[in-house]
Amino acid sequence: MTTADTFSDLDTGKRSKRAGTSRSLASILLNFPYGLALAWLVIATVLLWTLVPGLFTAYDPLQGVPGGQLKAPSAAHLLGTDSLGRDLFSRIVHGAVHSLSGAIAAVGVGLVVGTGLGLFAGSVRGRVDEIIMRFVDVLLSIPTLLLSLSIIILLGFGTINAAIAVGATAIAGFARLMRSEVVRVRNAEFVEAAFGSGGTFGKVLWRHILPNSLTSVVAYTAVQFGWAILQISTLGFLGYGAPPPTPEWGLLIAEGRNYLATAWWLTAAPGLVVVAVVLSANRISQSIGKTNGRSA
Amino acid sequence: MSRYVVGRIGQALLVLWAAFTLSFILLQAMPGDAVLIKFLNPEFGLSADQIREIRAAYAIDSGLLVQYANTFANFLQGDFGYSMQAGVPVSAQLATNLPPTLKLAGLGFLAATILAVFIAFLSTMAPFAWLKNLIQSLPSLFISVPVFWLAIMLIQIFSFRLKLVSVINPGPWESVVLPVATLAVPIAAPLAQILIRNIDEIRTRPFVPVARAKGASEIGILWRHVARNAILPVLTIAGVLFGELLAGAVVTETVFGLNGIGGLTEKAVSNQDLSVLQAVVVISAAAFVTINLAVDLAYPLLDPRLRTRNGATA
Amino acid sequence: MTPYRKILALSLGLLAATALPALTRAADAPVKGGTLVYLEQQAHTNLYSPAGGFYPNGGILNQITDKLTYQNPKTLEIEPWLAESWQINENATEYTFKLRSGITFSDGTPVDAAVIAKNFDTYGLGDKALKKPISEVVNNYERSEVIDPLTVKFYFKKPSPGFLQGTSVIGSGIVSLSTLALPFEQLGDATKIIGSGPFVVAAETIGKTLDLKVREDYKWGPAKLEHQGRAYLDEIKYIVTGEDSVRIGALLAGQADFIRQIQAYDEGQVEAQSFTIYAPGTRGMNNSIAFRPDNPLLADVKVRKALSLAVNRDEIISTIFSKNYPKATSVLASTAIGYVPQTDKLEFDLEKAEALLDEAGFKAGSDGIREKDGQKLVLTAYASLPQPQSQAVLQLIAQQWSKIGVKFNVLAGDAGSKVVDELDPLKTPIAVAMVGRADPDVVKSLYYPTLRNQLLQQGGTSDKVKTFSDAKLNAILDEIASQPDREKRLKAVADAQAYVLDQAYAVPIFEEPQAFAGAPYVKGIAFEAVGRPSFYSTWLDK
Repeated sequence: MTTADTFSDLDTGKRSKRAGTSRSLASILLNFPYGLALAWLVIATVLLWTLVPGLFTAYDPLQGVPGGQLKAPSAAHLLGTDSLGRDLFSRIVHGAVHSLSGAIAAVGVGLVVGTGLGLFAGSVRGRVDEIIMRFVDVLLSIPTLLLSLSIIILLGFGTINAAIAVGATAIAGFARLMRSEVVRVRNAEFVEAAFGSGGTFGKVLWRHILPNSLTSVVAYTAVQFGWAILQISTLGFLGYGAPPPTPEWGLLIAEGRNYLATAWWLTAAPGLVVVAVVLSANRISQSIGKTNGRSA
Repeated sequence: MSRYVVGRIGQALLVLWAAFTLSFILLQAMPGDAVLIKFLNPEFGLSADQIREIRAAYAIDSGLLVQYANTFANFLQGDFGYSMQAGVPVSAQLATNLPPTLKLAGLGFLAATILAVFIAFLSTMAPFAWLKNLIQSLPSLFISVPVFWLAIMLIQIFSFRLKLVSVINPGPWESVVLPVATLAVPIAAPLAQILIRNIDEIRTRPFVPVARAKGASEIGILWRHVARNAILPVLTIAGVLFGELLAGAVVTETVFGLNGIGGLTEKAVSNQDLSVLQAVVVISAAAFVTINLAVDLAYPLLDPRLRTRNGATA
Repeated sequence: MTPYRKILALSLGLLAATALPALTRAADAPVKGGTLVYLEQQAHTNLYSPAGGFYPNGGILNQITDKLTYQNPKTLEIEPWLAESWQINENATEYTFKLRSGITFSDGTPVDAAVIAKNFDTYGLGDKALKKPISEVVNNYERSEVIDPLTVKFYFKKPSPGFLQGTSVIGSGIVSLSTLALPFEQLGDATKIIGSGPFVVAAETIGKTLDLKVREDYKWGPAKLEHQGRAYLDEIKYIVTGEDSVRIGALLAGQADFIRQIQAYDEGQVEAQSFTIYAPGTRGMNNSIAFRPDNPLLADVKVRKALSLAVNRDEIISTIFSKNYPKATSVLASTAIGYVPQTDKLEFDLEKAEALLDEAGFKAGSDGIREKDGQKLVLTAYASLPQPQSQAVLQLIAQQWSKIGVKFNVLAGDAGSKVVDELDPLKTPIAVAMVGRADPDVVKSLYYPTLRNQLLQQGGTSDKVKTFSDAKLNAILDEIASQPDREKRLKAVADAQAYVLDQAYAVPIFEEPQAFAGAPYVKGIAFEAVGRPSFYSTWLDK
């Protein structure tokens, strides 16, 4: 994502003055990070959906009730029913596991391969660094969506394959961030000191470089997580996502859009869920970025 | 300096060639091929022998290396081949589809910049902390909305419900308003975040109170300094955002039914129209490489600190 | 089942108009002029006439090309068009057509016997040098002969009883010699298609828009049509708009006049706003799912029968469709030539289905899915993009089959993977099928190994088929395509319907219409026999 280079040091060092003031109840109430709490709440709820969907809904997400199709939201069906009479709320709840595992897998691919490349390039420097970073440029120069679609056609359709396709496009961002972090940390005085006191490269890497570059990578991962959900849903929209009747969120939005004229909630509801989750992931990422700013 | 320039250009060409090769390998590995997809369409009712003959006529089964060499040589001469699905030369398709996308992307980027500046300044002028927080979280909201969903919603609301703009047979302005808005929203987000950070930073600098004491308005001070400081990050992001713009174009063009490179790409992928895809990759890679090259070369000119550093190393 | 509701209503209206002259008539008199904005779901692919079976292609070709004969969509009789009259020998191996004089292509060249001969030489034999395939509507073609400038004769190697109807379809649209000389791959460019039709291609943005202009000097429409002379409209603007919600929204918001492919769930609100739904039937093979018996899971007729018995058509239609989608009662549509109802072979009976699966040796496994010798009864099919709500239909069938312990996976793939996988009976044991054509040859088109080969027999395009071939079926299909005697031919059509369902090779679901919607002021829309629009007599009442 494009925020890669910008967000990690967002808002750094701007709230140091608050320390030490006496905390009245009012100031606690005022300063309580409601947004952040809400973000965690959203993520927690969605995680619960993936673990125990049965707690939230009694309807079957795959088996519809013929004759009960395209019902408007009501007490019985909180978000109405789709064209085959399936309860939309149930599909969203049960879909969480597909959408989230897809996003996690995608970010995992980008994280492992990308940081691996970046770490290596930043550590060894020189010609190898040049070659790796030019390769990353090549990855960046191929339009992400085109790359994803090609990979899906190559691997075949399915939630995991879509995740890999999205993950592949995230590699470049992770590699660039990791390399710049490694280079930054490497040039720091304490690392040079560690080298000076006879530390081997591997030890320095493990003890100093890695831990010090980790925070921003973690924050970036959170952003990427939200971004991956969006990308997977875009693939679903273009017809390259999970195969139906999987209640994956992107697919729900994509299928629901055909009914906009008659049942707008079919696409609006899953759309808002995606917005809420991605927004929460970004908010949490920002808070990680802030702690990073304070500690560094 | 000139050695640095030549080196960067060389690197750029290398990246371009690598992108060509990588995409060639990727595309050739796809199952099925455009000839099969087109002619196996049962509407034609072709026999196995007839399809074999057609494949031979298109020389689709010649060796990979031969095909690679041919394609590469043709590309060097500016010949992008024939689109199997549309039945027209790829260059003709590009000629009709590239200008609308460039227009869309250019206007989208412009709108995004304006929107970002607007948000950044609004947030500094907000009288209450909660309002400031709210405005500052707008960029996060912007990148959280699926682009295709936004596009569909905008059409429903502004075109079909409020009947403000026509999406079918639109006038020259009508045709760009909604697509540009759709495209601008996700791109404005990172720009706005940079600007907000810049403004916060500048406000803490010592010269601000001095200038204010001299009677300058705060907005005026911010405007002068932010504008100068924001050019570099905006340029950097412009390079990275190009791919994003194209991805956005695929979606917006699909939803709004515009002709352009995005829509062309989407169709070519589904029909595995390799010559079209190859051309799209090379063109967008060329654009990416050129923009980044330009940004890299422009950096030292815009930022004196970098000039000395680069001058020293290159 | 009301495929021609609108036309019927219109002709009733006309009847009323003639009965009550003067006043009503003046109000209903067609107005010349205006532009029709037509939203098409998909872009055209290729405008080689035989490729006109694809609806976006056919929808354009039908306005810019004329045919030798005209098939009356109501009576299905063949009437004169470019040909004034014709003779057929007893064996249906020789056809002689006498042409109307004074017809020209839009580039000014005359439509004479030589051009017609060249057209059918191409359609009947293909053109290898120009990579043009043979038309599926011209069977057993041998050669042509120009008798005089206005008389042309065609010879066939074997009887070809379907040829006369074949001359009336969009796939036999007549184009100029210059168009015939172009290689296949250049026919995607509509501006290069020179026909003699009521409209001419004026401009095109490939994949996006197409502008047609009226031909002022057009005076050779089908002789028995009431409307003669130039078309009423000045222009037609085709705009490709893939999004369903945008097409329907634009129509209702007054941004478009006429749209193709409106889904059943939108019909209610279209009619509520007094817009008109047109749902002409396609008079061919019904929308159905076909089994590939080469796949070992489906080799046993009992299994196929059981699957057929477990499909609940009424539920599919009431859940997904509307009254414009009649329930299938055979593999052929009830409006098709040679239709014989087969309702006794198309029952819904879950108990019988389960009994048959038990008999076939498929017993319920631990996960509820039936299995035999460790092989689970798991089937797969791709949804078919051009078919209405194919995805939903297949998902509903999957739900219905899950009740008898069968798992059915529905895939949505890119065009490429779908084409390749559908040739492999192991990957896609089931395929969605449908063909529209108002001639019994359509049965052969769908099932014959060298044609669409829907059942994947040996001898077709696929090299993945191991053993399956049904000589008896193919013999019946051959009979349909080459039996000159009408009665015997219809008998073969009846046999084919019964045989396909006895073997449970296919499960017909519904009679597939082409669904269009138009603004209230759009009048005089007509459809050819297979549901492609003709805008020749269309006018705008505004």
